[in-house]
Amino acid sequence: MMIIEVEHLMKDFMVAKRETGLLGAMKSLVKREHIKKEAVKDISFSIEEGEMVGYIGPNGAGKSTTIKMLTGILVPSSGKVKVNGIVPYENRQKNAKNIGVVFGQRTQLWWDLPTIESFELLKEIYQVSNKRYKENMDTFTEILGLDEFLNTPVRQLSLGQRMRADIAASLLHDPPILFLDEPTIGLDVVAKEKMRTFIKEINNERKITVILTTHDMEDIEKLCERMILIDHGQKVYDGEMAVVKEKFGKNRILIVDLEESSHRLKVTGGEVFKEESSRFWIRFNRDAVSASELIAQITKTHNIKDLTVEEPEIESIISRIYQEGYQNLPETVKV
Amino acid sequence: MSVLKYFDLYFKLISAGVRAQLQYRFAFVMRIVGLITSYTGTAVTMWIMLYQFQELGSWTFYEMLFLFAVAILSWGFCIILFFHFRGLDTYILNGTFDRFLVRPINPFFHFMAMKFDVASFGQFIFSIGIFIWVGFELQLDWTLGKSLFLLFSVIGGVFIQGGLLVMISALAFWTTKSEQFYWVAMYPARNLTNYPLVIYPKAVQWFTAFVVPFGFVNYFPAAVLLEKETPFFPDKIGYFSPLVGIIFFAVAYYIWMLGLKQYKSTGS
Amino acid sequence: MFRFRLYWTFTKKAFLRSAVYRFDVWSRLGSNLIFLLMWGSIWTALYAGREEAGGVSFEAMLTYIVVSQFLTGVNGAGTPLWDIQEKVRTGDISLELMRPFDVPLRYLFADFGSVAFYILTALLPLYTVLFIFMDLTLPDSWQTWVLFIISAFIGFLIRYCIEMSFGLLSFFLVETGGIVDIFYFAMSLLSGSVIPLWFFPGWLEKMALYLPFQGIYYIPNAIFIGEISGSAILLSLGIQLFWVGVCYLLLRLVWNRASHKVVVQGG
Repeated sequence: MMIIEVEHLMKDFMVAKRETGLLGAMKSLVKREHIKKEAVKDISFSIEEGEMVGYIGPNGAGKSTTIKMLTGILVPSSGKVKVNGIVPYENRQKNAKNIGVVFGQRTQLWWDLPTIESFELLKEIYQVSNKRYKENMDTFTEILGLDEFLNTPVRQLSLGQRMRADIAASLLHDPPILFLDEPTIGLDVVAKEKMRTFIKEINNERKITVILTTHDMEDIEKLCERMILIDHGQKVYDGEMAVVKEKFGKNRILIVDLEESSHRLKVTGGEVFKEESSRFWIRFNRDAVSASELIAQITKTHNIKDLTVEEPEIESIISRIYQEGYQNLPETVKV
Repeated sequence: MSVLKYFDLYFKLISAGVRAQLQYRFAFVMRIVGLITSYTGTAVTMWIMLYQFQELGSWTFYEMLFLFAVAILSWGFCIILFFHFRGLDTYILNGTFDRFLVRPINPFFHFMAMKFDVASFGQFIFSIGIFIWVGFELQLDWTLGKSLFLLFSVIGGVFIQGGLLVMISALAFWTTKSEQFYWVAMYPARNLTNYPLVIYPKAVQWFTAFVVPFGFVNYFPAAVLLEKETPFFPDKIGYFSPLVGIIFFAVAYYIWMLGLKQYKSTGS
Repeated sequence: MFRFRLYWTFTKKAFLRSAVYRFDVWSRLGSNLIFLLMWGSIWTALYAGREEAGGVSFEAMLTYIVVSQFLTGVNGAGTPLWDIQEKVRTGDISLELMRPFDVPLRYLFADFGSVAFYILTALLPLYTVLFIFMDLTLPDSWQTWVLFIISAFIGFLIRYCIEMSFGLLSFFLVETGGIVDIFYFAMSLLSGSVIPLWFFPGWLEKMALYLPFQGIYYIPNAIFIGEISGSAILLSLGIQLFWVGVCYLLLRLVWNRASHKVVVQGG
């Protein structure tokens, strides 16, 4: 069953134009011009129950606008959204019962009160039964180690503790869908790892559908089987994480330092895409040609002083997709 | 959710708010001191003014104090229930308002229940003290009828001023500003009504009676209780305070909801 | 060494910056007008048709209030008290300790810029119109104009020093509500901004005359309407100068303790 369905979703905003200079400033005292900005232009996707999807893109790509439309905070300009059979913006309160939301940068807990009180208030707000509340609290306390800080005011929690509390809070009412907006932002390595383990666990055991936005590529690599990549309000890629890695993971980059500087280097089977005095970066497909073949080729005409072979990280793959577009990536790369 | 359930939830939410506020004891005391100081300041200003002149538009010092105390009493309730509405712009700008929208309850209700500023109980002491003092000086006899009239007028005043705070906060949905609107519009207007409306130009009196019905907060009710004339307005117009209050608040709520709809389509 | 050029850039920057916040300009002007309406109406009702009271004509009294509201606009266009407190809380001011300039002076010069912008674009046009259409007294000689402007400027400096000192109290107190309200009370009443000191009961008038607040509104207003004239003007300016000195020392004292606190205890 498709738990989230998005079809041709669009959202435009009107934004004020900033005038510059003194004259502009005086002018804007009276009148300010507006321009239309398309935050989301024609995005479609659907997510199956129990999936864990990374929804990623650079800042301003339209990630949070999409999430806001899925949670019922924003009404789309056009297009269709359905979350668990409900149109969020038409039936916001009903939709709210089906979703858990965690904003990594902003807590939804009561800042000045002991953490436990936030849970109790949320229990009331979501009308969670006593029995279910107790069960959930027991589980979360065990997995997330909440008991070490339940009586501490939220403002005194460390960021890692606060995130754990926030996640538990968003799951109290057993929502089938969980939205995580940068859940590991600002956390240290250990806390990040804990958080990821927990997210994986609830996804596996409770079959909760998770939509995750993040800038942390490790999050995506470790958590998501599928990723939806968006940029400038449009979908750039939607598919399995493994496919992306497969496709681009065959690339290697050979970096060579030559003894003598700067005459052009040409190699068959590889592509020189960057050079800097006597250093050259050569991209090649590991299936088509081996590094040693390339090196042999080069040593025929040049003296190599030093060399390294690099494996591309998911981060650089994604940033290349942003920069060049999925379709436009060079042929040598595409398989 | 049923109405009863909402009441129960409101109580739980505000008691959390009060406990949060009481964590900062010193701030709490300072706020009470601050409120009392500024009210005393206004009262002293009135006293000096009438030290030389005896009357302001046929109102004596004690009558003006009474007028002022009626305003403060209902404003006290307003601070407790609605004063935080003026800060809606901050919630919207830093994104915290969204959390009210991802929960399965009425966002107006949820926002209202966020704070319950008990510090303003300080002004009840102030205004009740003044009622006793002024009542003694003017030899008012507090019959049950008069007390009930005052009570209902105060309720009307709470609705009117609360309604205005709600309207001002709704402006944040369109303009991303509200706190500033409070300080530039409502704050001076509230000051205006600390003095009998009769001294202002007719257009202003008309405006404060029928557009932004501040006149019903204190001027009209106080005139009834003190048996003073309200030129340009019918006698006993003060009896309409509760009705005006309820209508005005309903309009304010409607505007707020309209603003929320706007917010959902622009997101900022 | 006083580096005027450095501080002057703050003035210029603040001038340009105020232009961006158009809403601030309009809204402050609106609220200024409401208060003018209020105090104008109150004084009209107090005089109740009388030509004069306490030896001051109605026309002069009305002028006093209008000038006072104008100066309130001027004094309110700089960095407000709550903003200073906010800057203390967020640590902005502490950060500026690392910069090669004097912080109180830097804010003063920035205030010159925003105040100038507000005067030029809002206050001056509005009050010119008011003076044309209302029956108000204008000073009869250019000397009085000059002395008024000097006096108003000194008043501005007194107000700045006091307000900044109060704002910096946030370095020492988490919550300053009550103290700040005392400041506002003194600013509105003891400064003579809404009731001239000659209408005060004798004992209170004496008290007000021994305080610095009179230098902010009462003295310039009274010079404008001719209530202080001749050699009394010079005496009043002397009193203002005395108070600006005292208030400046107070500001220095508070600032030194505040910066000491930042340096030693890290804020």
